[in-house]
Amino acid sequence: MIKMNNITKSFGTNEVLKDVSITINDGEIAALIGENGAGKSTLMNILGGVHYMDSGSIVIDGKKVEFRTPADSLNAGIAFIHQELNLINDLPIYENMFLGRELKDKRGRLDLARMEAETVEIFQKINIDLDPRAMVRDLDASYKQIVEICRAIMMEASIIIMDEPTTSLTEPEIKRVFKMMETLKEHGVGIIFISHKLNEVMEICERYMVLRDGKLVAEGQVSDVTTDDLARFMVGHDVSTDKLTRAKSIGSEILRVENLTHPSAFRNISFSLKEGEILGFTGLLGDGRSELFQAIFGADQIQSGRILLSGEEVKVQSTEQALNLGMGYLPRNRKENGIIKDMNILENASIVTWPLFATRGVIDHNKQRDLFLDQTDKLGIKYQRITDSITILSGGNQQKVVLAKWLAAHPKLLILDNPTQGVDVGAKEEIYDIILQLAEAGMAVVVLSSEAQEIIRICDRALVMYQGEIQGEVSGSTMTEHEIMKLATGGMLDAG
Amino acid sequence: MEAMTGNKREGLKGFKKRGSAESQFGTALVLIVLIILQTLVLGFDYDSFGHWFSAWTRNWINILRNNAGIGIISLGMTFVIITGGIDLAVGSTLVAVGAVIMTLLDTGPKGILGNLGITGAPAYTLTIILAILLGWLIGTIIGLLITKGRIAPFVATLGAMKILRSVTQHFMQGYNPRVPREFLKISNLQIGNLMFMPIIYWAVLAVILYYISKRTVFGRQVIAVGSNERAAQLSGVNVNRVKTRVYSLMGVLVAIASIIQVSRIGSMDFANAGSGYEMDAIAAAVVGGTSMAGGRGTIVGTVLGMLIIAVMNNLLNLFGVPPFLREAFKGLIVIFAVLFQRKEKA
Repeated sequence: MIKMNNITKSFGTNEVLKDVSITINDGEIAALIGENGAGKSTLMNILGGVHYMDSGSIVIDGKKVEFRTPADSLNAGIAFIHQELNLINDLPIYENMFLGRELKDKRGRLDLARMEAETVEIFQKINIDLDPRAMVRDLDASYKQIVEICRAIMMEASIIIMDEPTTSLTEPEIKRVFKMMETLKEHGVGIIFISHKLNEVMEICERYMVLRDGKLVAEGQVSDVTTDDLARFMVGHDVSTDKLTRAKSIGSEILRVENLTHPSAFRNISFSLKEGEILGFTGLLGDGRSELFQAIFGADQIQSGRILLSGEEVKVQSTEQALNLGMGYLPRNRKENGIIKDMNILENASIVTWPLFATRGVIDHNKQRDLFLDQTDKLGIKYQRITDSITILSGGNQQKVVLAKWLAAHPKLLILDNPTQGVDVGAKEEIYDIILQLAEAGMAVVVLSSEAQEIIRICDRALVMYQGEIQGEVSGSTMTEHEIMKLATGGMLDAG
Repeated sequence: MEAMTGNKREGLKGFKKRGSAESQFGTALVLIVLIILQTLVLGFDYDSFGHWFSAWTRNWINILRNNAGIGIISLGMTFVIITGGIDLAVGSTLVAVGAVIMTLLDTGPKGILGNLGITGAPAYTLTIILAILLGWLIGTIIGLLITKGRIAPFVATLGAMKILRSVTQHFMQGYNPRVPREFLKISNLQIGNLMFMPIIYWAVLAVILYYISKRTVFGRQVIAVGSNERAAQLSGVNVNRVKTRVYSLMGVLVAIASIIQVSRIGSMDFANAGSGYEMDAIAAAVVGGTSMAGGRGTIVGTVLGMLIIAVMNNLLNLFGVPPFLREAFKGLIVIFAVLFQRKEKA
């Protein structure tokens, strides 16, 4: 049993954890939930020895422990399985199992036979049917997750922290990992399950702990609450799931896509989109929707199929061409694809429009600043100086800056890929309002999101993708979380 | 409850200013210290200030003129490195362009322009235009190999470096073209009794490139591509075109350096001229704060970096450090510059 008592932690002036106490028992699966920035990662990083707490204590089975490094934590029997798995793709499973603690023979050579034998032993112990010699590269995401878990078992971990293990998994893969977690539980291992998916919490966990603004705001038995309760604990007030309405004025067709096919990511995609319409695209991670729209935007290859913009067929070879054709694309993963960290706020907000408002290649900085200040008011972007680094802004404001650079170009078609990723609840609502206003003004908007609720709240209709194909369309009465989930996992809509 | 101190570095992060202005201040400071040291070594003479000043100026003009060629190349190298690339072919391009210049202008029986009956100012103008075009062409081909051919910049320019040097040496073997005296005025024109034309070319190009990097779409796109290529692409930047143009620009600057080199002494050693220039240009950029990982670097920084290396060389010379050891000092400066900049960033 592990107790974390009265943990506090600050980064600079930012108090991330305020007097948090939690307990994890052996042989239980406890959910740790909370919004982005609630302090979950910091708390777990303290338990995992990545950060050191400002005050508080950690007690294992009645003994006080000190974790200064990840190794300290590991030696005390705590295994932290991060979202980005620590596996080497080009090594077989059994070598991955002993990464960093390789078994050697007397002459210092790797003892491959013994490593393989011990791997087999672990697999047998927890009923895993895997070839230890298989290359990690060839495993699907759930088995990679399972290999990490097996490694934790091998190190005799009594507590395993799993940070959003299901985000990149398909439904059957999730089932497989859950089954594994049940087995571990029977072996007396305690599991801390960090997740945003509340229905998974309801399914697999016995106990929940909710963090909000660095404080433990609720804990108890999962059987006593509903997902709505959990959502309310996380946000601090009732979560609005109502559909947002707006004055709709649907115009002529802007985009038509016919049988678009990519070598690997998507096949036979056909749909159409009109002025003033908000079309949703949803599905599970890896359903191919991001690749689809990156291809439409000219950032990726297309094998066959046609794209028509305002009725005219276009062959988009580059993003520059897409920009000139009146398309805009707000990418997912802001940090990797959205912001340019070596540039300031103004430059990040105007990179798209440099060529549009330049005279003979010379940037008109005054014009760019005016355009941005205009957007600042409309989008409610908060910053101190326009020349500050983009990286000091909050996630929501960064996202608005990335959005601003596209709005300044006045696209006819705006593609938003995970527009509310990593932004807090307040900013999320603001971004929804902006999207509705844009559509009201006649822009055709595509919203890509894996959150069914988001799709339901803002989209007029939505296409659900499954393994690279459009599995079905939902609108009106069929636009429910239930139907979307069914399509996203490969099922069909109920007849009628 | 025991008192615990937090991670101090983490706490300071928010207060630490980031940006190139600060690191350039450091670079400028190093340069000033070196200049003061150099002045002290040369000896400051109160009694005959005029005499002392003219000697000091002459020394400086010498330093700058000797480094103008690499100085110009390092300006282009800064752009190349900012995009995350590298150009090892600059020295060989310099020789190849030089060979063409000399073959065009040769006053002997093989001189191409002479045989066509073009001499004097038209011949010089034509030569300069053709040299710059050739530099542009070589740079563009390298750029296309890197972008369309998807060859790593290191490999593409390593290949070009070998090819250009070897082909030039082969065709120029046993041929010693002579350049008309008038052409040498390009670098040797005296103003007063001082020769500083190459310095003027360097200064003018530095100003132009500074302007390009700060004010033009291309200049800013270079930074964007180097800092986050995918984000730049998804912002409608034609990444391949930006990268190709950076190498084209490099080629043009090398051609200008080549014109200066040929017109300074009227001859060129095709086996050795320009060799090591790529490393000196990279060194200048790195000392000036350009990040080899891309995304960071400034023209001002590179000019300062070049001057630091030049003054250092001059100092080593004044101190009588044996020639073979001087390169070691250059290596030390580069390593310390990067260590120093990393400390500043952390």
